[in-house]
Amino acid sequence: MEVYKIKNIAGHLSKAFLGNPLTPILAISILLLGFIALNTMPREEDPQIEVSGGAVVVALPGASPQEVLNVVIKPLERKIREIKGVEHVYGTAMNNFGMVNVQYYIGEDRESSNLKLYDKVMQNMDQLPRGTMPPLVKPFDIDIDIPILTAAFYRLPGTKMDVVGLYKTIRELQTDINALDNVSKTTLKGVKRPQYNVLIDLHKLSAYHISLGQVAQAIKAISTNAPLIDTIDNQKKLVVFGVENAIDTIDDLKELIIAQYMGSPIYLKNIADVKYSYDIQNFQSALISYQKGMDVHPEIIRDGEPAIAEREEEGKNKAQKPAVFMPLDSQITMTVSKLKGTNAVYIAEEAIEKIEASREALNRAGVGFIITRNYGERANEAVNELVHHLEITIFIIMLILIPFLGWRESMVVTVAVPMILATTLFIAQLTDQTINRITLFAFLLSLGLIVDDAIIVIENIHRRLHLDIDKKSVDEIIIQATDEIGPSTNIATIAIILTMVPMAFVGGMMGQFMKPIPLNVPVGLAVSLFVAYVFAPFLAKKWLNFKKIKADVLKHKAEHEAQENAGKEEA
Amino acid sequence: MGKFEAYLLDILRHKKKKRIVILLVLLALMGSIAMIPTKLVLAKMLPGKSADTFSIYIDMPTNASIHETREMAQCVVSRLQKVAGVTDMEVFLGQGAPLDYAGLVKGSAFKRFQNQAEIVVNLTDKHHREEPSFMMVHRIRPLIQKRCEPLNPGTSIKFIEMPSGPPTLATIVVEVYSKSESALRHMSERVSSVLKKTDGLVDVDVMLDDIYTTYMLSPNKDKIIQSGLGVDQVNQIIYLAFKGMPVAVKNTKNQQDQIPIFVRLDEHSRKVQGESKSALHHKLSNLRLMNKRGMMVPLIEVVDIKAMPSSPTIFRKDLKNMAVITAECDLVSQVYPLLDARDTMLKVLKNEYNITKTPGISTYMFDLNAVDKKTGEKILIRWDGEMKVSLDTFRDLGGAFIAALVLMFLLMVVYYKSFALSGIVLAGSFLSIIGVIVGHWITDKIALAITDVDFFLTATSLIGFISLMGISARGSLLLIDFSRGLIREGMEKKEAIAKATATRAKPILMTAVAIILGSLLLSTDPIFGGLGIALIFGSIAATAVALFFIPVLMDNAKAMVPAEEKICEEGDGTEKEGKDVWCILTDNLKTILFPKKKCDDDEEK
Repeated sequence: MEVYKIKNIAGHLSKAFLGNPLTPILAISILLLGFIALNTMPREEDPQIEVSGGAVVVALPGASPQEVLNVVIKPLERKIREIKGVEHVYGTAMNNFGMVNVQYYIGEDRESSNLKLYDKVMQNMDQLPRGTMPPLVKPFDIDIDIPILTAAFYRLPGTKMDVVGLYKTIRELQTDINALDNVSKTTLKGVKRPQYNVLIDLHKLSAYHISLGQVAQAIKAISTNAPLIDTIDNQKKLVVFGVENAIDTIDDLKELIIAQYMGSPIYLKNIADVKYSYDIQNFQSALISYQKGMDVHPEIIRDGEPAIAEREEEGKNKAQKPAVFMPLDSQITMTVSKLKGTNAVYIAEEAIEKIEASREALNRAGVGFIITRNYGERANEAVNELVHHLEITIFIIMLILIPFLGWRESMVVTVAVPMILATTLFIAQLTDQTINRITLFAFLLSLGLIVDDAIIVIENIHRRLHLDIDKKSVDEIIIQATDEIGPSTNIATIAIILTMVPMAFVGGMMGQFMKPIPLNVPVGLAVSLFVAYVFAPFLAKKWLNFKKIKADVLKHKAEHEAQENAGKEEA
Repeated sequence: MGKFEAYLLDILRHKKKKRIVILLVLLALMGSIAMIPTKLVLAKMLPGKSADTFSIYIDMPTNASIHETREMAQCVVSRLQKVAGVTDMEVFLGQGAPLDYAGLVKGSAFKRFQNQAEIVVNLTDKHHREEPSFMMVHRIRPLIQKRCEPLNPGTSIKFIEMPSGPPTLATIVVEVYSKSESALRHMSERVSSVLKKTDGLVDVDVMLDDIYTTYMLSPNKDKIIQSGLGVDQVNQIIYLAFKGMPVAVKNTKNQQDQIPIFVRLDEHSRKVQGESKSALHHKLSNLRLMNKRGMMVPLIEVVDIKAMPSSPTIFRKDLKNMAVITAECDLVSQVYPLLDARDTMLKVLKNEYNITKTPGISTYMFDLNAVDKKTGEKILIRWDGEMKVSLDTFRDLGGAFIAALVLMFLLMVVYYKSFALSGIVLAGSFLSIIGVIVGHWITDKIALAITDVDFFLTATSLIGFISLMGISARGSLLLIDFSRGLIREGMEKKEAIAKATATRAKPILMTAVAIILGSLLLSTDPIFGGLGIALIFGSIAATAVALFFIPVLMDNAKAMVPAEEKICEEGDGTEKEGKDVWCILTDNLKTILFPKKKCDDDEEK
């Protein structure tokens, strides 16, 4: 029996692992690691695009746009242009203030970009014209600025809740949510803050001969807050006392004496409408209109079956009718952002749990809510859908291989594929990537490529077995078969890896967006070679039915010989 | 042996049949590439994606009040309430909605004026909804714009869909640069009117402030001093009266915030009867100031009212004044409306301006330089937005593609030490483009028949094509290796090639089938559909090329026959090392440049 001499790394690898007791342990741990990675990696819908930039806002009260342009924007723009890595500088000059937006080249490091911008502005503080307020530097921060969850809180119809009450209720909840792990920032939009409004009637003012300035002065004079004062008594003990704010309730304000007119005091309430209400000067507001039932059965409405929701609510059996909407009403939207590199899915879930937990209390107070954005769920859905696609595709490939190779052989390929994906995923986790749509598309795309190596190995083993099973030991055949196809498989795989590499250097938004493809496909391909050389032969040895093959081959040979003999005899 | 092998051998043995194969392949290649300029296959960067939400941006005229903006929002919302599939809408008046990827680049965070509003529209789950969100937007956009925009002329209602890829300011962005404010205004009017008339473009908006009348109170210095007042005091009182301000705060024990005490005139006193100088005069005459001597002085005594146009915001990009005109594409690719609009612009602007195109090929190649015939004012019209991003991306991907070709070629040369064989592998890979383009054409026809939406050649199609190159290279590689092995064993060249192709057909087909099935699900995705289609049809083409065209090429290549037959090696075997490279080069050049001759020679023999 001739001994096959291993020529390629493929043969060495398969030989080293073929009889190794650690091989199955390695296989299982790889699968486990991949599974853990799939479940623990931060999930996103779209990959993070590193957009660096920021805005510098400078206020110059009383200046016209042209003035702002000349004294603020132009010098600032020039200074910012000096920063390396800045792609575009956008200047905006408005009445009273100017703004310079800075956009770095895509892919510039965000932290150092922010630092550079801040540094540049601070260095040139002395050159700002007189009368400007200190400049505000606001860097973009996608992680913090793009909320993963938003919820709209509104007044339930028929309750007496006012906008300020709404705000107070939500404010409490906001603090609770902010305390959750990995939540970076929460904001409230459409908030109406409590305020004492003193709305003065101009006619009464002139009738009593009072000026506006007097009113303002009178209010200012009475409502000062002073710190506590301490002194010592005769026993050298500390005595603490202080002046209380004279305005404690709205009535204190109403009874404020502004001036004397014809000998009688004029109270604030005489000339103005004094109310405890909300900040009326703030025109920013938020409204909501929602389909009836959204507050009770959001899932059903979202699934597009309003009829069912209606039926449950009214107990009637009606055909589908046009959706009923609640009229526009005030709302407060709470936004929740996450810290960088954390899993949006879990954070969103936790935050929603927290909100749901206080549903009872909120409803009792007359507040309803709707989750209006949930990127966590969306990311989860997108990822799960694609993982499902991957599974289906692997299954289809397995099915298609059965007629070509036989089911045992195709099982080997089917197991090899998840192992390759698991390893690639684990490597992706180690290199701080997130699991997103593009990553999974990279996997789907590479699926057709990575099954190849395993197919080629298993096909050659299959072919070799049928040729040589009666001559050599199974181990040797497997090693030889793997080794034979080594050189061309290596070179072909390297060729495919090479085609993918230049994609990593594509610039711009699109390049960033697609980055998971050149990052993961080459890794997957390299891993597929390894798996094809290490595990495919191992699995083939474990799973293939050698006795049957041997019997087949011998039978075939016998038949062949018989035929030949018959042929000879005939001849 | 097999039928296929005999068939191949037949082709290889007849010069004519070989020529027919080559001709057919070349025709297919030309035909498919011609599909792109003839617009049979449409190119677009990224197609739309169905989402569960979209936004509407309302931009009112610059001097609109929050009440007018609210009315507009109310109009939009009441129309939306009749749209099936809408679950809830959140209106954000005077501010942007919570940031999303689109809002990040569209300046949502900077909205803070009374004339701005954003509406977030949430829809039912896309899996249960028949109408994709982009179709819904396409359907309701004209309805809402037609109904609501006339309520307040100058309003623009824009529909913002979730971007399927990286977000841009708008699909089509035209930047007009000029030093003169009036030239900017005039030109941007012209540009926007052209865009509005262009088919397929919607949501055209000029991002410039409208100019409206403002009233300036100019203090009369003499009177102010004589009456014992100060300009500062005048400013403060006017501000306090009409805008109001918190004059004091009250700390509270049981709340998180301080409570401000806010002073302003009441609604009735604040209201000016109609917008005119006299109405304002009348209002201000009621307002009195107290001077140092405690006397009341009517405000109107110390100021004069002047009406003047507002000073609009100045926008600059990269240190140059500019105006921006944005437009969205309604389900169509941005390439063709852009070219149409540009052609129209060239025609329309010819009378007023001397227009020159930007020379050379760059990603700014559509820019126009205009010089005003009368004033000599220079204006630059620049196309930015998704078009620029697309061009950049296609350029970069094209570069990546060429780099991939070169890298692969080098690898093959190292492996085979033959340029001809490497050329064959490369040709085989490149030809899968036939399948990619034809596949897009077929899919486009199917998509149009089923859903009435065009299927575009996108950036992901290019990525698919690049990865296909590797796959088809593998096929050719296996064929060449196997054939050479057989020839080395002493088989006749043509027979060897036919046999190798026939035996390797099984794994090649298997790989192709695996890829096709693997990409089936991919092709249903809106973004990666192009990639899926490219892979499916590309691998069909690649398989056909590998099984018919590559054998013909192999037969023509002399390098298939193992090296010792080479002519130049006959000379001196001692200096082989140095001469080897040259030998390979000249030998291969001959086969590449004169393959036909070689065949003829062969056949003559």
